[in-house]
Amino acid sequence: MGAMTIARAPVREPAWSLSRSAIGLWVTEGVIGSVFAGIGAAAVVLFVPSSVGFLRWLVPAVALVYAVAVIGVRPWVRFRVHRWEVTGEAVLTLTGWLTRTWTLVPISRIQTVDVTRGVLQQLFGLSTVAVLTASSQGTVHVWHLEADVAQRVADDLAHRAEQVRDQAT
Amino acid sequence: MTQPPSPGRRTSPRVVLVHTITFRQARQFVPAVIPLVAAVGLDGGAPTIVGLVLGVTVLSLATAGLSWWRFSYVDGPSSVVVTRGLLSRSVRMVPNDRIRGVEVETPVLHRLFGLVRVRIDAAAGGVTDKGEELVVDGLPRSEGDRLRTAVLTHRSSTSATADGVPVAMPAEEEFARFDNRWLLYAPLVGSYLAVPLAAVGALFRLAQELPESVRPEFDEPDLSGLQVLAITAAAGLLLLGVGSVIGAAVVNWGFRLVRRGGSLVATRGLITRRHTELEIDRIRGCTVAEGAGMRLVRATRVNALVTGLGDAARRGQLLPLGPRKEAWRLVHRLVADPGPMVPHPVAARRRRLGRALFAGLVVTAAGLVATIAAGWWGLLVVGVLLTLLGVPLGLGRYAALGHAAGPRSFTVRSGWLVREQAVLERRAVVGWQVRQSFFQRRAGLATVVACVGAGRGGYAAIDMAADEVRSFTVAASEPWAETFSR
Repeated sequence: MGAMTIARAPVREPAWSLSRSAIGLWVTEGVIGSVFAGIGAAAVVLFVPSSVGFLRWLVPAVALVYAVAVIGVRPWVRFRVHRWEVTGEAVLTLTGWLTRTWTLVPISRIQTVDVTRGVLQQLFGLSTVAVLTASSQGTVHVWHLEADVAQRVADDLAHRAEQVRDQAT
Repeated sequence: MTQPPSPGRRTSPRVVLVHTITFRQARQFVPAVIPLVAAVGLDGGAPTIVGLVLGVTVLSLATAGLSWWRFSYVDGPSSVVVTRGLLSRSVRMVPNDRIRGVEVETPVLHRLFGLVRVRIDAAAGGVTDKGEELVVDGLPRSEGDRLRTAVLTHRSSTSATADGVPVAMPAEEEFARFDNRWLLYAPLVGSYLAVPLAAVGALFRLAQELPESVRPEFDEPDLSGLQVLAITAAAGLLLLGVGSVIGAAVVNWGFRLVRRGGSLVATRGLITRRHTELEIDRIRGCTVAEGAGMRLVRATRVNALVTGLGDAARRGQLLPLGPRKEAWRLVHRLVADPGPMVPHPVAARRRRLGRALFAGLVVTAAGLVATIAAGWWGLLVVGVLLTLLGVPLGLGRYAALGHAAGPRSFTVRSGWLVREQAVLERRAVVGWQVRQSFFQRRAGLATVVACVGAGRGGYAAIDMAADEVRSFTVAASEPWAETFSR
């Protein structure tokens, strides 16, 4: 990580990082996922006959590794990776933790701007801004912004898109 | 929406006959009739069957007549309105500026009665949801042509780009014409090969459903001799080839692509004549697709990428099947030539090879274990074969990769089973997506997807050098792409 990856990044990183509350949200998501994985693993241990041997313990071991990764590692890596920026011309985001994805959409091609708040997001006071274009693959999601920031960004983008929209799609 | 409720036009009453013959409206009652027949049984013999046939025909006539009576359409100055519905009324209104194209088709029966079917295609927002369609079935030919020109004229006069003065009959310019010799390519094209296979499948199903007494009796064929087997295989292959040529001929017979004013008009079909119209202004690029078999004979297929077009795979076809040279001439008439293709770095070849060999190597490893542990060498042979086959596959997939950016357009290419090259205008790009997995990061590669509001929605340059991403995105779209480096 660090200098090496930045030197090899194909395009630049967006300037702004997400709200720190996003870490809490991701940890919560990880805990929920781990609970389900744990239930599944417990079911395997209970119902698979002991004659199978050590293979029976492979599933709980995998579940444990998964829990450590999604609770202890992924939220922090994601927080370091995830970035976003709105410039005069475009919206740029960077997401992912193992696979990085940069998405760039010019404001002139924005068709709609949505703000959504999931159940968990509401607990942490966060919102997601989704910027849609004519392309099904050209959608930018700016995840987990503080609710008031998200609303301001969405209003600003929608307003500017209306002013500079060109007819071409 | 401002127009007063006008009486509306009707389709030709002759369409009632067409629909009675094809049981078009009555078809929906079939699921209800089957259990009825099963309950009553066919014990009555001939009279019962005759009664049943008569009943179905009368029912069909009644529904066809009723739906003809309840159907009307109006092509107003601002929108097209279609009113229909057997029991409940439905009124559909499509504003003229949402209309993307008009298609006139003539199935065989319609041709006998001098009728046509008009499909009016309206965009419904996103590319992914299939565009809405208005179908006006059973118009006299002259009325069909009038409706088509009327709708298209209304549309262009409401759109901002047209000057508002519709030209009466602009001159035609031929872009492509199907040469019947190209039908011989059909046996190498997957989708046409599927035609005879589907036909044989349907035949078998039909034979299964026939009552025992009607089914023709075959002697158990003697398949023991090698000679018989070879002859059967040869006959099967011949049948497959001939079937695919026939299938291609039925769909593409007399294909012709002409430019008429601001639109491209494609006509084709042996049994059902189709007449599709695309607005040139909405064309953002083309895809040139070549299946593995087609590449052997340098055959290709060209599709147009049109914004907001429903059922684009069929409607966007500019050349269903033809030689590569002809195809590229056509593409370059519509989109500027972006110049020679830039191959991707050696690291990309390693990645393609690695991916192609992975499955084979896993099976080989499992096979080794099985051989050593149980002396079971079958799996090992399969694994080695898979690995060997993976080499040309990986190299082929690498050879397909490439991209190029010219002054007005750009292109990306990928795929082995179907190698697809998209040539797009710079203005087509509505966004960029750059993806880099952990392994791509280590190899200094990245996958760049050009997001486009047409076709599949995105066209990818897989595994290009990470250093080239910035310059490529700036060269292939408008200045906003410099956000990636500033």
